[in-house]
Amino acid sequence: MRKSTASGTLRYLLTCWKLNAAGAMEFRLSFFLTAGMMFINNCIWLVFWGIFFTKFPVVNGWELRDVMLMWAVAAGGFGWANMLFGNFTRVAAITAAGQLDVYLTQPKPVLLSVLASRMSLMAIGDFMFGWVIYGLVGDHSLRGLALFMLGLLISGLLIMFFTLVANSLAFYIGNAEGLAFQVFNGFLALTTYPTDIFRGGVRIILFTLVPAGFISYIPIGLLGGIQDSFLIGALGITALVAGIGIAFFYHGLRRYTSGNQLGIRS
Amino acid sequence: MGMYALEVQKLTKTFAVKQKKAGFKESVRSLFKPQWQVKEAVKNVDLLVKPGETVAFLGPNGAGKSTTIKMLTGILHPTSGDAQVLGCNPWKERGRLAFRIGTVFGQKSQLWYHLPPADSFELMSRVYELRRSDYLIRRDLLIERFELGAHLQTPVRKLSLGERMRCEIAVAFLHRPQLLFLDEPTIGLDVIIKQRIRELIAELNREEGTTVFLTSHDPGDIERLCKRAIIIHHGGVILDDPVDRLKREVLKYKTIRLKLREQEQQAMSFRMDGVSAAYEDSCTILLSVDTNVTRIETVLAFIVEHYTLEDVTIEDPPMEEVIKHIYASEKANLLLGAEGE
Repeated sequence: MRKSTASGTLRYLLTCWKLNAAGAMEFRLSFFLTAGMMFINNCIWLVFWGIFFTKFPVVNGWELRDVMLMWAVAAGGFGWANMLFGNFTRVAAITAAGQLDVYLTQPKPVLLSVLASRMSLMAIGDFMFGWVIYGLVGDHSLRGLALFMLGLLISGLLIMFFTLVANSLAFYIGNAEGLAFQVFNGFLALTTYPTDIFRGGVRIILFTLVPAGFISYIPIGLLGGIQDSFLIGALGITALVAGIGIAFFYHGLRRYTSGNQLGIRS
Repeated sequence: MGMYALEVQKLTKTFAVKQKKAGFKESVRSLFKPQWQVKEAVKNVDLLVKPGETVAFLGPNGAGKSTTIKMLTGILHPTSGDAQVLGCNPWKERGRLAFRIGTVFGQKSQLWYHLPPADSFELMSRVYELRRSDYLIRRDLLIERFELGAHLQTPVRKLSLGERMRCEIAVAFLHRPQLLFLDEPTIGLDVIIKQRIRELIAELNREEGTTVFLTSHDPGDIERLCKRAIIIHHGGVILDDPVDRLKREVLKYKTIRLKLREQEQQAMSFRMDGVSAAYEDSCTILLSVDTNVTRIETVLAFIVEHYTLEDVTIEDPPMEEVIKHIYASEKANLLLGAEGE
C-alpha cells in the first residue's frame, strides 16, 4: 500500500510555493503595494528608534545597531515564515469555517498542507526589510551571515509555532480567532523591544511562558558573540514550542467538526 | 482488497449543539450557563458496497449524508461504530487511504481559486506523487474527456460553475482512485451540465471500474448514474434498493407545471387516469402524474391539444415527497403484512 515519501512531500512543498508565488503575482499592483507598505511601516519604527538613540546613545547596553538588528531578525523571521507557511496566523479561522476538509482528503500531512497553502504578500516586504537592515549594519563575514540566518530560522519558527498553539485552541473552544490574533500580535510586539529594558518577573516570562525574549535577545546573545546558554535555550525552546504546536494541532484535529460553509481555496 | 469496497457497521456521529433562545438576555444567560443538546447527525448506519458499484446516497438537507461521507473519507472521527474503506479504517489510516480514493465536494473546491486549472492539475500530481510521464498522459486524457482544453489557462475564479465543476471532477480522477466520493456534485448546475457530468462519471465507472458513492438531494442524479440507491432520513437508512425498483415504485411520479395564457381556461377540469391536478394560482396548474398508469407523453399531448400554454416544465418530485411516499408505502406494507397473518 502506498505511503507519502519524504522526497515526494518535498516536491509537493516546492510546487505549493511556486503556485503561491504565481497566485500572489496574479495581482501585480496589489503585490507591490502590500509588500512595499510593510517595508515602509518597518522603516518608520526604525526612524523612531533612531531619534530615540540620538538622545540616549546606549540603553541598558543596547545601541542603535542592536535595535536595528533586532528588527531585522524579528521582521525577517516573521517574513519567511509567513511567506512559506502563510496560513499559520489563520489556522483558527480556517478550522472554525470547516475548511480543513480539502487537506484532510489528501495524502499529504495536514498541518504542512494547511500552512504552506498561502503566501502572505506583506511578509515579502518584511523579509526584504530584514535583509536590507542586515546589509546596512550586519556582520558581512561568512560566520556573521550564517549566524544571521540561524537567527532568522529561530525567530521564524518561534513566531510560527507559538501562534499555531494559540490558533489550535479553535478545536477546543470553537471561535478562537480573536484570541489567537491578540496572542500573535502581542508576541510579535514583544519581539521588537530590547530584552534588557525588562527586569524581574517580566523578564522571566519572556524567556519561559511567552518566549519572545529568545528572538529579541538574538542581536546580543547570538549575533554579538555566541552565548552558549542563550543558544542552547533558544534552540531548546524552539523545539519545545514546535512540538507543543504540532501535538496540540493534531490532538485537536480529532475533535474537528467540519462545517458546510462554502469554501474556495484562494 | 476484501469483498467490499465499503463496509460500515453501526456508524454513529453525535454533535453537541448549544441551545439559545432569541434575544440579548438569553445570549447573556447562555454565556454563563450554556445549554447543550446532543444532536445525532448519523445513527447506526450499516452499509456494504461492492467494488465497481454505483451508489446514490440520498436524503433531504440535514439527513446526515455529508456527515457520513466525511467520516468515510477520514475528515471526521465518528462517535461510535466502525468502517472499512478499501480495507482501511478511514480515520486511523487516513493518509494511506487518501491515495486510493477521490473526493469531490460540491461546496468545497480543490482548485486554486486565483490560478488556472492547469496549475491545480500540477499540484495534484505532486499531492499524489504521480510519475511524471503517467501524469501527463492521464492529464491529457481527462482534459479531452471533460472538454477542458479551452479553460485550462483561465483562472478558476473566472470559470462558470459548470466549467469549474467539470475541472473538479477531472482533478479527482487524476490519480485513478478506486473509489470516488462525490458530495452534491451537481448542486446549483443547470440541467444540461448536470446531465453531462453524470454521463462522464458513468463512463469512467464503466471503463475503469471506479466505485462511485454519490450524495445528492436531487433524485435526477441517480437515474443516469447509479444502479443502487440508499436513502437516509434523520440520520438512519430508510431504504436500500436497486434504482430500477426505486424508479418503478417511488420515483414514478413526475410533476408537470403548466402556465396558461388565458385565465378562463382554468374552468376546464382535468380528468385522466393517474393524474391529479392542483391550482397554484389562477394561471398555474400543477399536475402530478403516475407514470406507471399514464405515460408522460400522453399527458403532454392532451395538454397541447386542449390548452393555450405560456410555459410548461416537467420536474422530479422533491426528495421530501419521495421520503413521505416511502414512509407511506412502508406503513401500507406493514398493514398488509398484519392482515395476511
